[in-house]
Amino acid sequence: MAMPDFPIETERLTLRNFHKSDLDAVMAYHALPEVQRYLDWKARDRVEVKAALDAMCAQHRLTRPGDALTLAVVRKADDMLIGQISLRWTDATAGQAELRFILSPAQRRQGYARESVRAMLDLGFNELGLHRIYARCSGRNQASAKLLKDIGMRLEAHFREHALFQGEWDEELHFAILDREWLRGSKVKELSHHMVA
Amino acid sequence: MVYAPHYPIETERLRLRPFTRGDVDAVFAYRQREDVAQYLFDGPMSHESVTEVVQQRIGQYELTNEGDKVFLAAELKASPRVIGEVSLILRDGPARQAEIGYIFHPEFHGRGYATEAARMLLQMGFEGAGMHRIYARCDARNAGSWKVMERLGMRREAHFREHALFKGAWDEEFVYALLEGEWHHRAER
Repeated sequence: MAMPDFPIETERLTLRNFHKSDLDAVMAYHALPEVQRYLDWKARDRVEVKAALDAMCAQHRLTRPGDALTLAVVRKADDMLIGQISLRWTDATAGQAELRFILSPAQRRQGYARESVRAMLDLGFNELGLHRIYARCSGRNQASAKLLKDIGMRLEAHFREHALFQGEWDEELHFAILDREWLRGSKVKELSHHMVA
Repeated sequence: MVYAPHYPIETERLRLRPFTRGDVDAVFAYRQREDVAQYLFDGPMSHESVTEVVQQRIGQYELTNEGDKVFLAAELKASPRVIGEVSLILRDGPARQAEIGYIFHPEFHGRGYATEAARMLLQMGFEGAGMHRIYARCDARNAGSWKVMERLGMRREAHFREHALFKGAWDEEFVYALLEGEWHHRAER
Protein backbone atom coordinates (compact mmCIF):
# COMPACT_ATOMS: atom_id res chain seq x y z
CA MET A 1 0.00 0.00 0.00
CA ALA A 2 1.47 3.41 -0.94
CA MET A 3 2.26 5.45 2.16
CA PRO A 4 1.92 9.22 2.31
CA ASP A 5 4.79 11.36 3.51
CA PHE A 6 5.22 11.54 7.25
CA PRO A 7 4.99 13.42 9.51
CA ILE A 8 1.31 14.30 9.54
CA GLU A 9 0.57 17.70 11.03
CA THR A 10 -2.61 18.52 12.91
CA GLU A 11 -3.45 21.73 14.76
CA ARG A 12 -1.50 20.91 17.90
CA LEU A 13 0.23 17.63 17.07
CA THR A 14 2.78 16.00 14.84
CA LEU A 15 2.34 12.30 14.03
CA ARG A 16 5.67 10.87 13.00
CA ASN A 17 7.55 7.57 12.83
CA PHE A 18 9.20 6.33 16.02
CA HIS A 19 12.97 6.68 16.48
CA LYS A 20 15.40 4.78 18.72
CA SER A 21 15.94 8.03 20.61
CA ASP A 22 12.32 7.95 21.86
CA LEU A 23 13.16 5.36 24.53
CA ASP A 24 12.80 7.58 27.61
CA ALA A 25 9.58 9.16 26.40
CA VAL A 26 8.02 5.76 25.60
CA MET A 27 9.26 4.30 28.88
CA ALA A 28 7.44 7.06 30.75
CA TYR A 29 4.02 5.68 29.79
CA HIS A 30 4.59 2.09 28.62
CA ALA A 31 5.86 0.95 32.00
CA LEU A 32 2.68 2.09 33.78
CA PRO A 33 0.47 -0.85 34.87
CA GLU A 34 -2.68 0.87 33.54
CA VAL A 35 -1.09 1.11 30.08
CA GLN A 36 0.37 -2.43 30.11
CA ARG A 37 -2.90 -4.20 29.42
CA TYR A 38 -3.39 -2.42 26.11
CA LEU A 39 0.01 -3.32 24.69
CA ASP A 40 0.86 -6.24 22.40
CA TRP A 41 4.07 -6.82 24.32
CA LYS A 42 5.42 -6.78 27.84
CA ALA A 43 7.04 -3.41 28.54
CA ARG A 44 7.68 -3.29 32.27
CA ASP A 45 11.36 -2.35 32.31
CA ARG A 46 13.95 -0.68 30.13
CA VAL A 47 14.96 -3.86 28.31
CA GLU A 48 11.37 -4.75 27.43
CA VAL A 49 10.49 -1.18 26.44
CA LYS A 50 13.56 -1.10 24.18
CA ALA A 51 12.29 -4.24 22.41
CA ALA A 52 8.81 -2.71 22.13
CA LEU A 53 10.25 0.49 20.68
CA ASP A 54 12.31 -1.50 18.15
CA ALA A 55 9.11 -3.19 17.02
CA MET A 56 7.28 0.15 16.72
CA CYS A 57 10.17 1.70 14.77
CA ALA A 58 9.75 -1.11 12.23
CA GLN A 59 6.02 -0.43 11.89
CA HIS A 60 6.33 2.40 9.40
CA ARG A 61 4.36 1.06 6.43
CA LEU A 62 1.58 -1.35 5.51
CA THR A 63 2.92 -3.87 3.04
CA ARG A 64 0.85 -6.97 3.72
CA PRO A 65 -2.22 -7.79 5.83
CA GLY A 66 -1.25 -8.13 9.47
CA ASP A 67 1.19 -5.19 9.27
CA ALA A 68 0.74 -2.23 11.58
CA LEU A 69 1.58 1.41 11.00
CA THR A 70 2.50 2.99 14.33
CA LEU A 71 3.12 6.71 14.75
CA ALA A 72 4.41 8.72 17.67
CA VAL A 73 2.08 11.49 18.85
CA VAL A 74 4.21 14.59 19.53
CA ARG A 75 2.91 17.87 20.95
CA LYS A 76 4.13 20.76 18.79
CA ALA A 77 4.20 23.32 21.59
CA ASP A 78 7.00 21.62 23.52
CA ASP A 79 8.03 18.79 21.15
CA MET A 80 7.04 16.26 23.80
CA LEU A 81 6.12 12.70 22.80
CA ILE A 82 2.80 12.08 24.55
CA GLY A 83 1.55 8.82 23.05
CA GLN A 84 1.16 6.58 20.04
CA ILE A 85 -1.45 5.66 17.49
CA SER A 86 -1.61 2.81 15.02
CA LEU A 87 -3.53 1.21 12.19
CA ARG A 88 -3.28 -2.55 11.77
CA TRP A 89 -4.25 -3.78 8.31
CA THR A 90 -6.40 -6.80 9.12
CA ASP A 91 -7.97 -7.63 5.75
CA ALA A 92 -6.65 -6.51 2.36
CA THR A 93 -9.47 -7.59 0.04
CA ALA A 94 -12.15 -6.12 2.30
CA GLY A 95 -10.06 -3.01 3.16
CA GLN A 96 -10.29 -3.40 6.94
CA ALA A 97 -7.99 -1.96 9.61
CA GLU A 98 -7.96 -1.70 13.37
CA LEU A 99 -7.21 1.62 15.04
CA ARG A 100 -5.45 1.68 18.41
CA PHE A 101 -4.07 4.50 20.47
CA ILE A 102 -2.41 5.13 23.80
CA LEU A 103 -2.00 8.50 25.37
CA SER A 104 0.25 9.09 28.35
CA PRO A 105 -2.13 9.28 31.37
CA ALA A 106 -0.66 12.67 32.35
CA GLN A 107 -1.73 14.16 28.99
CA ARG A 108 -5.34 13.03 28.84
CA ARG A 109 -8.54 15.09 28.83
CA GLN A 110 -7.14 17.77 26.51
CA GLY A 111 -8.45 16.41 23.21
CA TYR A 112 -5.11 15.10 21.98
CA ALA A 113 -6.41 11.57 21.51
CA ARG A 114 -9.37 12.86 19.50
CA GLU A 115 -7.12 15.04 17.35
CA SER A 116 -4.82 12.13 16.53
CA VAL A 117 -7.71 9.71 15.91
CA ARG A 118 -9.20 12.19 13.41
CA ALA A 119 -5.89 12.39 11.59
CA MET A 120 -5.60 8.62 11.42
CA LEU A 121 -9.14 8.20 10.07
CA ASP A 122 -8.33 10.81 7.41
CA LEU A 123 -5.15 8.93 6.59
CA GLY A 124 -6.87 5.55 6.50
CA PHE A 125 -9.75 6.59 4.29
CA ASN A 126 -8.32 9.42 2.16
CA GLU A 127 -4.75 8.25 1.63
CA LEU A 128 -4.85 4.50 2.14
CA GLY A 129 -8.30 3.91 0.65
CA LEU A 130 -9.55 1.65 3.43
CA HIS A 131 -13.21 0.61 3.50
CA ARG A 132 -13.80 0.21 7.23
CA ILE A 133 -11.83 1.11 10.33
CA TYR A 134 -12.71 -0.36 13.70
CA ALA A 135 -11.51 0.10 17.24
CA ARG A 136 -11.98 -2.02 20.33
CA CYS A 137 -11.99 -0.95 23.94
CA SER A 138 -12.79 -2.36 27.33
CA GLY A 139 -16.35 -1.82 28.52
CA ARG A 140 -14.81 -0.14 31.56
CA ASN A 141 -12.85 2.39 29.53
CA GLN A 142 -15.54 5.04 29.33
CA ALA A 143 -13.23 7.78 28.10
CA SER A 144 -12.21 5.84 24.99
CA ALA A 145 -15.77 4.68 24.33
CA LYS A 146 -17.02 8.27 24.49
CA LEU A 147 -14.26 9.52 22.20
CA LEU A 148 -14.96 6.87 19.56
CA LYS A 149 -18.69 7.48 19.70
CA ASP A 150 -18.35 11.28 19.57
CA ILE A 151 -16.06 11.09 16.56
CA GLY A 152 -18.81 9.32 14.64
CA MET A 153 -17.95 5.67 15.02
CA ARG A 154 -20.83 3.26 15.57
CA LEU A 155 -21.02 0.82 18.46
CA GLU A 156 -21.19 -2.47 16.57
CA ALA A 157 -20.55 -4.95 19.34
CA HIS A 158 -20.73 -5.25 23.09
CA PHE A 159 -19.38 -8.64 24.11
CA ARG A 160 -20.10 -9.53 27.71
CA GLU A 161 -17.86 -11.96 29.63
CA HIS A 162 -16.57 -13.30 26.33
CA ALA A 163 -13.02 -13.92 27.57
CA LEU A 164 -10.85 -13.96 30.67
CA PHE A 165 -8.32 -11.20 31.15
CA GLN A 166 -5.91 -11.62 34.07
CA GLY A 167 -8.44 -13.74 35.95
CA GLU A 168 -11.40 -11.44 35.41
CA TRP A 169 -14.26 -11.48 32.93
CA ASP A 170 -13.60 -9.16 30.05
CA GLU A 171 -16.15 -6.89 28.47
CA GLU A 172 -15.34 -5.57 25.04
CA LEU A 173 -16.82 -2.85 22.84
CA HIS A 174 -16.27 -2.63 19.08
CA PHE A 175 -16.72 0.66 17.26
CA ALA A 176 -16.52 1.02 13.49
CA ILE A 177 -16.94 3.50 10.66
CA LEU A 178 -17.14 3.02 6.89
CA ASP A 179 -15.29 5.12 4.31
CA ARG A 180 -18.47 6.76 2.95
CA GLU A 181 -19.62 7.67 6.46
CA TRP A 182 -16.32 9.31 7.38
CA LEU A 183 -15.92 11.12 4.06
CA ARG A 184 -19.50 12.42 4.15
CA GLY A 185 -18.90 13.69 7.70
CA SER A 186 -15.70 15.46 6.65
CA LYS A 187 -17.45 17.18 3.72
CA VAL A 188 -20.23 18.45 5.97
CA LYS A 189 -17.65 19.91 8.31
CA GLU A 190 -15.78 21.57 5.46
CA LEU A 191 -18.98 23.04 4.13
CA SER A 192 -20.16 24.41 7.45
CA HIS A 193 -16.70 25.84 8.01
CA HIS A 194 -16.97 27.73 4.70
CA MET A 195 -20.43 28.98 5.51
CA VAL A 196 -19.33 30.33 8.87
CA ALA A 197 -16.29 31.95 7.24
CA MET B 1 -12.53 -30.83 30.46
CA VAL B 2 -14.35 -33.78 28.96
CA TYR B 3 -17.92 -33.53 27.79
CA ALA B 4 -19.09 -36.88 26.47
CA PRO B 5 -22.87 -36.97 26.60
CA HIS B 6 -24.94 -40.09 26.27
CA TYR B 7 -26.58 -40.36 22.84
CA PRO B 8 -29.17 -40.13 21.48
CA ILE B 9 -30.38 -36.94 23.12
CA GLU B 10 -34.13 -36.53 22.77
CA THR B 11 -36.25 -33.41 22.63
CA GLU B 12 -40.01 -33.39 22.25
CA ARG B 13 -40.00 -34.17 18.53
CA LEU B 14 -36.34 -34.71 17.67
CA ARG B 15 -33.54 -37.14 18.28
CA LEU B 16 -29.99 -35.68 18.21
CA ARG B 17 -27.28 -38.26 17.61
CA PRO B 18 -23.79 -38.59 16.09
CA PHE B 19 -23.61 -38.92 12.32
CA THR B 20 -23.33 -42.30 10.62
CA ARG B 21 -22.31 -43.20 7.07
CA GLY B 22 -25.95 -43.84 6.23
CA ASP B 23 -26.75 -40.11 6.63
CA VAL B 24 -25.09 -38.97 3.39
CA ASP B 25 -28.23 -38.92 1.21
CA ALA B 26 -30.32 -37.10 3.81
CA VAL B 27 -27.61 -34.44 4.31
CA PHE B 28 -27.08 -34.12 0.55
CA ALA B 29 -30.82 -33.45 0.15
CA TYR B 30 -30.45 -30.05 1.87
CA ARG B 31 -26.72 -29.26 1.43
CA GLN B 32 -27.04 -29.37 -2.38
CA ARG B 33 -29.57 -26.54 -2.26
CA GLU B 34 -28.73 -22.97 -3.21
CA ASP B 35 -31.08 -21.56 -0.56
CA VAL B 36 -29.30 -23.53 2.17
CA ALA B 37 -25.82 -22.58 0.97
CA GLN B 38 -26.67 -18.89 0.64
CA TYR B 39 -25.56 -17.99 4.16
CA LEU B 40 -22.99 -20.76 4.68
CA PHE B 41 -19.28 -20.59 3.92
CA ASP B 42 -19.59 -23.56 1.57
CA GLY B 43 -21.48 -23.33 -1.67
CA PRO B 44 -24.06 -25.95 -2.68
CA MET B 45 -22.30 -29.27 -2.11
CA SER B 46 -21.81 -32.27 -4.39
CA HIS B 47 -22.71 -35.75 -3.21
CA GLU B 48 -18.99 -36.45 -3.04
CA SER B 49 -18.17 -33.55 -0.72
CA VAL B 50 -21.18 -34.33 1.46
CA THR B 51 -19.81 -37.87 1.78
CA GLU B 52 -16.49 -36.43 2.97
CA VAL B 53 -18.13 -34.04 5.41
CA VAL B 54 -20.33 -36.75 6.91
CA GLN B 55 -17.31 -39.06 7.18
CA GLN B 56 -15.43 -36.35 9.14
CA ARG B 57 -18.35 -35.76 11.45
CA ILE B 58 -18.87 -39.39 12.43
CA GLY B 59 -16.24 -39.10 15.16
CA GLN B 60 -17.12 -35.58 16.31
CA TYR B 61 -19.43 -35.99 19.32
CA GLU B 62 -17.30 -35.09 22.38
CA LEU B 63 -15.57 -31.96 23.68
CA THR B 64 -12.15 -32.28 25.29
CA ASN B 65 -9.84 -29.65 23.83
CA GLU B 66 -10.31 -26.11 22.58
CA GLY B 67 -11.61 -26.25 19.02
CA ASP B 68 -13.34 -29.60 19.46
CA LYS B 69 -16.71 -29.83 17.74
CA VAL B 70 -19.85 -31.81 18.36
CA PHE B 71 -21.82 -32.36 15.14
CA LEU B 72 -25.16 -34.11 15.49
CA ALA B 73 -27.79 -35.22 13.04
CA ALA B 74 -31.30 -34.02 13.90
CA GLU B 75 -33.76 -36.82 13.21
CA LEU B 76 -37.53 -36.73 13.47
CA LYS B 77 -38.69 -39.07 16.21
CA ALA B 78 -41.99 -39.77 14.45
CA SER B 79 -40.39 -41.01 11.21
CA PRO B 80 -36.66 -41.64 11.44
CA ARG B 81 -35.66 -39.07 8.87
CA VAL B 82 -32.68 -36.70 9.21
CA ILE B 83 -33.97 -33.16 8.63
CA GLY B 84 -30.94 -31.14 9.68
CA GLU B 85 -27.76 -30.86 11.68
CA VAL B 86 -26.60 -28.99 14.77
CA SER B 87 -23.21 -28.13 16.24
CA LEU B 88 -21.63 -27.20 19.56
CA ILE B 89 -18.02 -25.99 19.35
CA LEU B 90 -15.63 -25.38 22.27
CA ARG B 91 -14.03 -22.03 21.38
CA ASP B 92 -12.22 -21.12 24.61
CA GLY B 93 -11.56 -23.65 27.37
CA PRO B 94 -10.48 -21.47 30.34
CA ALA B 95 -13.17 -18.83 29.65
CA ARG B 96 -15.74 -21.62 28.93
CA GLN B 97 -16.98 -20.17 25.65
CA ALA B 98 -18.85 -22.20 23.05
CA GLU B 99 -20.53 -21.55 19.72
CA ILE B 100 -23.67 -23.25 18.47
CA GLY B 101 -24.97 -23.67 14.94
CA TYR B 102 -27.87 -25.32 13.11
CA ILE B 103 -28.90 -26.09 9.54
CA PHE B 104 -32.30 -27.51 8.65
CA HIS B 105 -33.87 -28.67 5.41
CA PRO B 106 -36.06 -25.79 4.13
CA GLU B 107 -39.02 -28.16 3.78
CA PHE B 108 -39.05 -28.37 7.56
CA HIS B 109 -38.61 -24.65 8.32
CA GLY B 110 -41.30 -22.77 10.19
CA ARG B 111 -42.22 -25.55 12.57
CA GLY B 112 -39.94 -24.75 15.48
CA TYR B 113 -37.51 -27.62 14.93
CA ALA B 114 -34.44 -25.36 14.90
CA THR B 115 -35.59 -23.65 18.10
CA GLU B 116 -36.22 -27.01 19.74
CA ALA B 117 -32.78 -28.31 18.74
CA ALA B 118 -30.93 -25.10 19.59
CA ARG B 119 -32.56 -24.98 23.03
CA MET B 120 -31.15 -28.45 23.64
CA LEU B 121 -27.71 -27.26 22.46
CA LEU B 122 -27.84 -24.48 25.07
CA GLN B 123 -28.87 -26.97 27.73
CA MET B 124 -26.05 -29.32 26.72
CA GLY B 125 -23.55 -26.46 26.70
CA PHE B 126 -24.53 -24.85 30.00
CA GLU B 127 -25.70 -27.81 32.06
CA GLY B 128 -23.65 -30.61 30.51
CA ALA B 129 -20.40 -28.96 29.48
CA GLY B 130 -20.45 -26.19 32.13
CA MET B 131 -20.05 -23.34 29.65
CA HIS B 132 -20.09 -19.73 30.85
CA ARG B 133 -21.18 -18.11 27.59
CA ILE B 134 -22.62 -19.54 24.39
CA TYR B 135 -22.87 -17.55 21.19
CA ALA B 136 -24.10 -17.99 17.64
CA ARG B 137 -23.45 -16.00 14.48
CA CYS B 138 -25.48 -15.48 11.35
CA ASP B 139 -25.85 -13.28 8.31
CA ALA B 140 -28.00 -10.26 9.17
CA ARG B 141 -30.32 -11.11 6.25
CA ASN B 142 -31.00 -14.58 7.64
CA ALA B 143 -34.01 -13.64 9.74
CA GLY B 144 -35.07 -17.26 10.11
CA SER B 145 -31.84 -17.94 11.94
CA TRP B 146 -31.63 -14.93 14.26
CA LYS B 147 -35.28 -15.21 15.20
CA VAL B 148 -34.46 -18.63 16.61
CA MET B 149 -31.78 -16.99 18.77
CA GLU B 150 -34.19 -14.31 19.95
CA ARG B 151 -36.84 -16.90 20.84
CA LEU B 152 -34.22 -18.60 23.01
CA GLY B 153 -33.56 -15.36 24.88
CA MET B 154 -30.12 -14.77 23.38
CA ARG B 155 -29.01 -11.14 23.22
CA ARG B 156 -27.78 -9.47 20.03
CA GLU B 157 -24.24 -8.53 21.05
CA ALA B 158 -22.90 -7.50 17.67
CA HIS B 159 -24.00 -6.13 14.35
CA PHE B 160 -20.94 -5.89 12.11
CA ARG B 161 -21.45 -3.94 8.90
CA GLU B 162 -19.35 -4.53 5.80
CA HIS B 163 -16.64 -6.05 7.98
CA ALA B 164 -15.63 -8.65 5.38
CA LEU B 165 -16.33 -9.81 1.86
CA PHE B 166 -18.59 -12.82 1.64
CA LYS B 167 -19.19 -14.49 -1.72
CA GLY B 168 -18.27 -11.30 -3.55
CA ALA B 169 -20.47 -8.91 -1.56
CA TRP B 170 -20.16 -6.99 1.71
CA ASP B 171 -20.94 -9.13 4.69
CA GLU B 172 -23.19 -8.08 7.51
CA GLU B 173 -23.14 -10.26 10.58
CA PHE B 174 -25.06 -10.65 13.84
CA VAL B 175 -23.63 -12.26 16.95
CA TYR B 176 -26.05 -13.42 19.64
CA ALA B 177 -25.00 -14.65 23.07
CA LEU B 178 -26.31 -15.95 26.37
CA LEU B 179 -24.51 -16.20 29.73
CA GLU B 180 -24.91 -19.14 32.10
CA GLY B 181 -26.56 -16.95 34.72
CA GLU B 182 -29.17 -15.85 32.18
CA TRP B 183 -29.80 -19.46 31.14
CA HIS B 184 -30.35 -20.63 34.71
CA HIS B 185 -32.52 -17.63 35.49
CA ARG B 186 -34.72 -18.46 32.49
CA ALA B 187 -34.85 -22.15 33.42
CA GLU B 188 -36.12 -21.28 36.92
CA ARG B 189 -39.09 -19.32 35.67
